[in-house]
Order: sequence, then C-alpha cells, then structure tokens
Amino acid sequence: MRDVAFEAAPGECLLVVGPSGSGKSTLALAIAGLVPHEIPGEWSGRLEVDGLDAAGTPRVELAARVGLVFQDPGSQVVMDRVEDDVAFGLENRAWPPELMWTRVPEALDAVGLGGLARRRTGHLSGGEQQRLALAGALAPRPGILVLDEPTANLDPWGAAAFFDRLRAIRESRSATIVLIEHRADDAWALADRVLAIGADGAPIDFGRPSDVLTRSGDRLRDEGVWLPGDLLLTGPQPRSEVLGPLLVDARKLSFGYDPDVPVIRHVELDLVAGERVALAGPNGSGKSTLGRLLAGLLRPTQGRVRLDGADPARLSAVELARRAGYVFQDPELQFLSTRVGDEVFLGLRPEERATAPEVMTGLGLPLEHFADRSPYALSGGEQRRLSLACILVRRPALLVLDEPTFGQDRRGYEGLLAILRDRVAGGTCLVAATHDARFIRDVAGRRIALDRGRVVADETLVLEPPLTDAAPAHEMAARRGSGPAAGAP
Amino acid sequence: MEPADRQLASPLGQTSPLVKLGVAIGWFVGLAFTTDVRPPIVLACLALLAAIWFGSVDLETLARGLTPLWIAALAIGAFNALFAAVNLDPAATELARIGPFRLTQAAVVGGLGLAARVVAFATVGIVFAQTTDPTRLVDALVQQARVSPRFAYGALAAYQAVPRFAQDLATLRQSRRIRGLPGTWHPRILIGLLIQAIRHADRLALAMDARGFGMGPRTTFRQVRWTAVDGLLLVGGIVALVVALGLGGAR
Repeated sequence: MRDVAFEAAPGECLLVVGPSGSGKSTLALAIAGLVPHEIPGEWSGRLEVDGLDAAGTPRVELAARVGLVFQDPGSQVVMDRVEDDVAFGLENRAWPPELMWTRVPEALDAVGLGGLARRRTGHLSGGEQQRLALAGALAPRPGILVLDEPTANLDPWGAAAFFDRLRAIRESRSATIVLIEHRADDAWALADRVLAIGADGAPIDFGRPSDVLTRSGDRLRDEGVWLPGDLLLTGPQPRSEVLGPLLVDARKLSFGYDPDVPVIRHVELDLVAGERVALAGPNGSGKSTLGRLLAGLLRPTQGRVRLDGADPARLSAVELARRAGYVFQDPELQFLSTRVGDEVFLGLRPEERATAPEVMTGLGLPLEHFADRSPYALSGGEQRRLSLACILVRRPALLVLDEPTFGQDRRGYEGLLAILRDRVAGGTCLVAATHDARFIRDVAGRRIALDRGRVVADETLVLEPPLTDAAPAHEMAARRGSGPAAGAP
Repeated sequence: MEPADRQLASPLGQTSPLVKLGVAIGWFVGLAFTTDVRPPIVLACLALLAAIWFGSVDLETLARGLTPLWIAALAIGAFNALFAAVNLDPAATELARIGPFRLTQAAVVGGLGLAARVVAFATVGIVFAQTTDPTRLVDALVQQARVSPRFAYGALAAYQAVPRFAQDLATLRQSRRIRGLPGTWHPRILIGLLIQAIRHADRLALAMDARGFGMGPRTTFRQVRWTAVDGLLLVGGIVALVVALGLGGAR
C-alpha cells in the first residue's frame, strides 16, 4: 500500500474496497496498532487514530480504542463459554468485575446472542461465532470498530444476521466503523465514505459512496472490485447443455463420522457428463460431505457411489485423480509444496504439464510472476485460485468445488468462470457446493438443495433462480433439532 | 466427552479444580507405595461414589467413559500376569498351566494389583474430567496457583483447537489422494499439519492481542475463591488415602 489518504469522522462508516492483494487487511491491522508494532514492515506517512499517532503510540493505547473482527470465525474464539469470551477483552483492560457482569449481557444482546451466554463457543455455528467476535470487540466500548471481511466465511443467512447488527451499530453512531467487505450491496448501503485502493496498492478514490461510484465506477470494475448491483448486471446464461452419458450414480447413500450422527442420509443421485450442478443448503447441511463421497474421498457408511462404473473410494490415488477432482474450501489445506510452481505441477502426468501455464494465466496467477512465491504468502483470493488451478490442470471427468468463489474479486471470478465454462463444454461434470447466488446463476444448470443430509429439492434451472431462499427456516429448525424440513419430499 | 452443565454446578464441580487436582495427584503418589489390590479399588469406588453423590454424574456417562479404560486395565493386568518373570521360578506356587505358559499365584497377584491401580487412575481421571470446567481450571491456575495468564489462556485456546486439527489432518490426507499421490501417512502431511497449527496459533495470537491481551494488569470475570467445601474435599481426600493404604497394610 502506498500514498493512501483518507479520514473518517466519529460515528461514520468507512468502507475500504479494492481487489485481492491490494493491502486492505494491512490497513485494518495498522488502525488497530498491530502494524507496525506486532507485524513489522516499511512505514512512512502519518496515521492518526482517535488523535494518536498510530506508529508512535504503544499498541496498548491503540488496542484500548479499537475493536477488531477478523475473517475466520474459528480462530478468534479464546474462551470455552460465550460470556467468558466476551469478558476476555474486558479482563485485559482491567474492568472491575461488577461492571463486566452488566456489560457482557449488553454486548451479547447487541449482537443477538442474548440467550446463549452459557453456551460452549465450540457449539456455535460459524455465523454465531462471528457475531460473538463482534460482541467481544464491542464490549469495551471502543471508539473505532475495524471489520476485516467479517462475513467472507459465512453462509447468506449468517451474513444477513451479521449485517443486521452492523446496521444497528451504524444507526446508533456509537462507534466509527472501518469495514472491508466483498458483499457490495450490503456494504455500500452502510457506508458514509468509501476508500478505494488499486491492485498496486495506490489509492483510486476517496469520498461519498455515490460520488465514488460516479467518478470511479468503471475504473473499479476494471480493477476487479465488486460494485453494488453487480448481481443484477448480466442476464441468465444461455443453457445450451451438451449432456453426455451417465457419469456418477449414488444409491441409498448414507454417511456419518459418528455412526449415531448421520451427515448424509439416503441420497439418490444421477449425474451425467457435461452437467453443471450447484449443491445448495445452509452450513452443516452436508454439502461438502456429499461432494467428498462423490469424489471418492470418503467411504459411504451405507449405500454406494459409482463414478464412471467404479467405486471411487476403492480406486488407487492415481486412478482417482484421473477421474475426479476436488477443491477444498480451505486452500491452505490443499498445499503440499513451498513454491507455487512446484504446487501446480505436483503429481501431473507429462501430457497434463503443458496446460498448466495457460490455466494459471487464466486464473490471474501467471507462472512468470508467481512460480517462485510461497503458496502460503499469497492473498486469500490468490490462494483459492491456486488451489483451483492445481485441480483444473488435470481435466478430471468429475469436478467438485467447495465454495469456489469465496473471497474472489471480480477478475478472479471471471477467470474462473471462463475456465469452468470451457471444461463443461468439453464434457466435464461440475458439482459446486456454494452459497453464491451469482455463481449459481452464471454457471449452474441444476440445483440440488440439501437440508440436514437429505436432498430436499432437485431442480433444473432454466431461468434465473430466486436469490433468496427458504433456508433460514431450515437453519432455525436444525438448531432447535425439531420440526420437519421445510420442503421435504 | 464434555461435562454437562448439571455436573459443573454440583458441589464437586464447584470446588476449586486445584484441590481436585491435588487430591488426585496425592492419591496417585500414595498408590505408588503399595502393590495391594485393595487400596486402589477402594479409592476408585470412593471416586465413583463422590461423582454420583456430589458430582451429579449419571451412571451411563460414567460407564461410557470408563468401560474402554477398565477393559484396557484388565488387559494390561492379564498381560503382565501371563508374562511375569516369576512364572519361570520353579519355587513359585503354580495355579494353572496353559500349553507352554505357566501361571503362578505371585504373577496373578501382581497382575491384579497393576490392573487395580490402572483402574484407579482411569476412574479418578474421568471423574475429574467430568466435574471440571476447562475455563474454571484455567481461572484457578491463574488466580490460585499464580500461573502466568499468557501460558494458561494460551493453553486453553490451543485446547479448543484440537477438534480442528483432527479435521485438518483428514483434509490434508484427502488432498494428497485427489492429487494422485499415494500414501496416506506421507511426512509431508505432518508438515502441512504443523504449518496449519502455526498459522492457527498466529491468527489466534493476533486476535488475542487485538483484544488487549498482555496490555497490563488484568481483572477476572469469574473469581475462583477458596471455600469450606474445598477444605472438606482436601481433608476427605487425605483421610480416604490413609484409610485405603491402611487396608492394604493390614493384609
């Protein structure tokens, strides 16, 4: 990041936008005093936080003024119980115990977790954990709240609940909000000011949202930044499907990590070559598990899967990799090398090696620039594209993707779309577990909805699918552990 | 198996975890001085009764936790009885002969004594785990035993990440398989797991710092105070150990 200038008045909401890797997270860490105090780097210019010079003030002083929420819900929880976790930040600031006992319930109410004070933090859903992180950041009444892609790992219902709470904080003007967020429609509506940074880390624009859109909308679109209304820009895709022979069939398929807790229940499924399937449903409904079963990564506890006539779970690794590809939700868990160049060529057959440069360039990771970098040092969006590239170089007949568009800027998204369309036209069967309504509309020809391990809807998408879903009701029912699934056959 | 709220609210759940830990360690040390079967069995029974009466732990929960450990204890005892060196001593009283194996009385007594002690360790451990809130244990370590907060809360946060590592391991192995690489226990998987552990710890440390951890003096949300029940438990634990060891000595 360089030459960036901005300001936010008390109680305002500042939205920071920019393509993947533009330095947005660094800015968030700088405001919270973690850069340059905890994470060193080259620093020039001046950043004033609540009247204090950020680089010259001890981190302790800044931490007292700033609340920070990160992207990954799982790695922000410190304590075992919800109320203890909220109190953690108050303890660190040496609040008197009696004040903590009144403030903790207030903070939990403010994020809609009022009834869950004694719940174990590990038993919360990702969306609830993220609102818990918000409560923990809010509890010490910070003047500034910094949110670094807080909804990137949440399903649409978790994200909507998070934004509801954020709107209430913004309305009360009780804290200045610095928000980094890819969900453009929600985020731009919340913002008083927008700071736009380009891929090179240089500023593009700063001002009121409407002014920034007018002045720099085209430039931002070129840079790959999502803008409000992008979901409605393109019409439904032509569905010229060239469907081939039967590729996958699953019969009476059931699976559970614990035999008493089935994750997948009696699923019957036929997939043909050239098909584009979206697996939908709330977090925890079994989408990833079903994908892993189809790709031969898990062995069914009951029933069977056939992939191209064989049981994929019994194939050798070499045979399996030829027929099936699977891209995991967390890219870092897929990396097996310390260089991007080694990673993408890992395990490839000679005839597959030739396609690697083209795939990498198509996904915005040209090998000439990226080959020597460490996969772990890439930005979140780049990591996900690398994990996709490692599977896309092989041309398996079945391609299973778990949330392929999480954290992607527009450029990464469009690169991915082009490659996937090309593969499907060549007869690849694509199965994507996704919450992304835009991706479903742009890619999918069939939508299979899961709820608590059962298929509750299986439909051909001819026109635009509805952007909202009945699933909040599913999620509620799942949490109560009672009531039939809405729309169950 | 996590302890239920009812168990944590019980008298045994509300005592200081340090006293429970102290009694358990005292018992383990005391049992090292006897090979008799009776003291460990008496102490295991007392721990069970305490769990049921004062700990609100139901029998089903205890049985589910203890069955595998007890079976393991019996297996260890049987193995030791069968392969004890004393079986080769022609002077030892022979109880049975199975094929080439000779089983002597001394070996059986030794095996039973070992099994009984493993049973006692397992039972006390399960009762401790089933009546102790991890947060309360850490609070007690910091407030009563003056353990460094950075170490204690760091350990608590790391403990919460354990289920996550199990999932990460499964994903790393699947990730190799789908890339056509054979071998489910390749060293590279452990490297991947280590990288994940370090990165998770990094993120967590950053999140803790962002919430002001290590800023200076802390206060505590949940005070752990010494109570009369702690004293009763301590005295009861010592009396039980003395009585149990006395039973052993009176053989």
